Amino acid sequence: MTVQAPDLPALNTRGLSSSGVGASGWRLAWRRLRRNRAAMTGGIIFLLILFCCFPGAPLWVHFAAHRGPEVQNLTGTIMAGGHRVPVVSAGGTPIGPGLRGQYLLGADSNGRDLFVRVLYGGRISLLVGIASSALCTILALLLAIPAGYRGGAVDRGVSGILDLIWSFPVYLLMVAISASLMVSGMNLGPIHLSSSSLLIPIVVIAVVMIPYVARPIRGEVLALREREFVEAAIAHGAGPLRVMMREILPNVMGTTLVMFTLIIANNILTLAGLSFLGVGVSLLTPEWGNIIQAGFSQIVTSPMQTIAPGVAILLTSVALNVFGDGLRDALDPHGSGRTGA
Amino acid sequence: MRCERGRRRQGAVCGAVLCAAVIAACGSGSGSHSGTGTSSGSQGAATSVGTPVNGGTLQAGMAADPDHLDPGLGYTNESWEIEEATNNGLLAYKRASGVTGAQIVPDLATAMPTVSDHGLTYTFHMRTGVRFSPPVNRAVEPSDIKFSIERLFRINSGGESFYTGIVGAAHYAKTRRGGISGIVADDRTHTIVFHLTKPDGTFPNYLAIPFSFALPKGTPNSDISTNSKWRVATGPYMISSYVPRQSITLVRNTNFHQWSSATPNGHLDKIDVTIGVTADQAVNEIADGQLEWYFEAVAPDRLAQIKAQYPSRLYTFNPEEVWFFTLNTRRPPFNNVLVRQAVNYATSRAALVKIFGGQGAASESIVPKGIGGYVSTDFYPYDPAKAKQLVARSHTKGMAVTVWGADFDPIPQAVQYMASVLDSLGYKASVKTLNAGVYYDTMAAEKTDPQISWNNWGEDFPDAEDFIDTQLNGENITNVGNNDMSNLDVPQINHAIDAARLMRVGPARTAAWERINTEISTKQAPMVVYMDSLLPKFVSPRLHGLVFNGTYYELLPEMWLSK
Repeated sequence: MTVQAPDLPALNTRGLSSSGVGASGWRLAWRRLRRNRAAMTGGIIFLLILFCCFPGAPLWVHFAAHRGPEVQNLTGTIMAGGHRVPVVSAGGTPIGPGLRGQYLLGADSNGRDLFVRVLYGGRISLLVGIASSALCTILALLLAIPAGYRGGAVDRGVSGILDLIWSFPVYLLMVAISASLMVSGMNLGPIHLSSSSLLIPIVVIAVVMIPYVARPIRGEVLALREREFVEAAIAHGAGPLRVMMREILPNVMGTTLVMFTLIIANNILTLAGLSFLGVGVSLLTPEWGNIIQAGFSQIVTSPMQTIAPGVAILLTSVALNVFGDGLRDALDPHGSGRTGA
Repeated sequence: MRCERGRRRQGAVCGAVLCAAVIAACGSGSGSHSGTGTSSGSQGAATSVGTPVNGGTLQAGMAADPDHLDPGLGYTNESWEIEEATNNGLLAYKRASGVTGAQIVPDLATAMPTVSDHGLTYTFHMRTGVRFSPPVNRAVEPSDIKFSIERLFRINSGGESFYTGIVGAAHYAKTRRGGISGIVADDRTHTIVFHLTKPDGTFPNYLAIPFSFALPKGTPNSDISTNSKWRVATGPYMISSYVPRQSITLVRNTNFHQWSSATPNGHLDKIDVTIGVTADQAVNEIADGQLEWYFEAVAPDRLAQIKAQYPSRLYTFNPEEVWFFTLNTRRPPFNNVLVRQAVNYATSRAALVKIFGGQGAASESIVPKGIGGYVSTDFYPYDPAKAKQLVARSHTKGMAVTVWGADFDPIPQAVQYMASVLDSLGYKASVKTLNAGVYYDTMAAEKTDPQISWNNWGEDFPDAEDFIDTQLNGENITNVGNNDMSNLDVPQINHAIDAARLMRVGPARTAAWERINTEISTKQAPMVVYMDSLLPKFVSPRLHGLVFNGTYYELLPEMWLSK
């Protein structure tokens, strides 16, 4: 049973369809979101980035660049400005950006097409960002809902675990775990992951970020369990599991969805940071963070190697954050700290 | 020798009188260059503008921690550069550049040794009055030298194989009990005698390198890099502070007094080394005046800029150093010589030299140009098609291969290039990089046993033996600190190396090393040698006295700052 907000009758009036049936909360939220231009712009930009990185990347390679993200071309040449120039000079400086299909943003120090690497790097960044966020959210729900609903020893135990994770500086903990797993991989019973597996950064980031998602959800569950509809469900004979699944979970989905969206941006940044520090994805796998790291030593003579992936990270993070803020406003228009409906 | 650009290699025995061997074998060291302007690629450039000024603090930078600041363990250029300024052995290479810098002179010994018993006995008299710095604060005794050499075996030092030719050393290496019987130290008469198992004209070399530098009796059998109680000095400087990953501070050793012109007093009062300075950052900070000197080479991509903007502050030294990838002959797929040859054919040396900013010349010789034993033949002209044929014949296509490298630029780029070469041959390549501070020790441990790893080697002394013997003589393979990382162990080649070591310096010895170099490269291919490196250095206009010694690199006590 979905909770209706106290002022929903007013909302229902506005939300009446032509048949006179009231609009659901989700539909109302969608309408509010649609009216938020900044949020919609952020969402569209994010979708565009997704398009560029996923179907767009191989299309660009096929029609324009003609070389994939891992093709090195240290001794090759291209036509630029009417002259044949080396992709990487004798002094090791790669070619810069230019209006051409190949090496649109220039090359990196191994002669790889930088634009292609940024596109394919986005796949990894987005994949790990979204997957780690999803995993984090699921684990957070699994911990927060029982903790908030049952209270007592369960709550104390879960809160203790969250506090333990939270007590470590986030990056330090991630670097320590990643560094050890990257050398020898992960062997946990039947689970064997090679050191270059993407599951390692996904799991590491997801686990370390659990407290940041679980705590707000737990707080909301603590408030919800005292509500009348929960008491009513219990009075009707519903067991704890049924109450958590049927009454609590649907009512925290709004918060969960917002958290999920916001931590995607955070996790993309986190992965980029780990890769920059050398403990993210393998060097051979293009990812925005390790593209920046590889180009850092040439930041003076070939700055595009750091600027291009940096701008990509910036655009993605801002777009997701703006969209996430809009989603939060749409789902909870009377949230604390807001003025007006 | 390797350094954080590269690590030193332990040389082995060379068969003739040392000074003659060194001078005759040293090919290219065309001596010093004075004044300003870029030096040309030859060992040693002494900037001698004006009269040296005493005093001042040198602000220096370093990319990563030296492997160790323990003379018994340190085996990188960075550690040896510091240890040359802080510690002393019975002998030393003359503190000079070029060919002169390859001569061996007495240091803690009063004179060159008396060699007797048909070359089996070396007798030294030690100076009196040389003292360890605080907190040990006592005179250096012959028994300290004996202790220091025995300690190498107790701590599994990468340098222990230099001293296995001493009577009793092999037994001590196994038992760690009773001491090395072939070293007789008499503190009363201040003499120390070395008895060898066989004549060894290169033995004095090993008493001139930091492994044999004096440490006080009682020094723990563990790394003393951060142990200020035992990390003491006998030289003009001492390490007053070492904070890993942050800084090293050298100050004047209050107990030092100059005992000969061969052991300089040092001009600077203090040397502050900041650790973690990237090559690019170093260029910016030297240009801005925040740093005066950087341990490592100029960032490859800034070389052109520095040549154009600051030509008088750029010096290029020839460290006689080769850069290569080591192929592990014990691990598939590189236990198959066809694969090793294939990788050599598929590697473009020109591409790798570009990655390193052109700071070197493409080469396939295990011995660098300028040292007898160098071979200029293009053993494996770039031929990817031929490489693929060899891989097909080996039936190893599709195997997983991990390429290891250090994490300082541009090694990760070079490692990625090698991975692409392996991918092009049909292997599934992955890369792993490690911090330079732990990289060499990790690679040299048999437990790691990497399939293929980036590597380099600079001369400890100018003879081909230094490059071929310990890196490619199977008799020198060890479990820890192993320098024969390819694990090449071919009895026929081992015997040939042993025989060449005993030959007198001259054309015949040089020809023998050339034959061995060619045989190993063509028949075994345990390495993918790609470059003879150069060492460009960008310095502050205030810094003078840059003397490049082939063994110790830039000599800190010779440096001075103008006001």
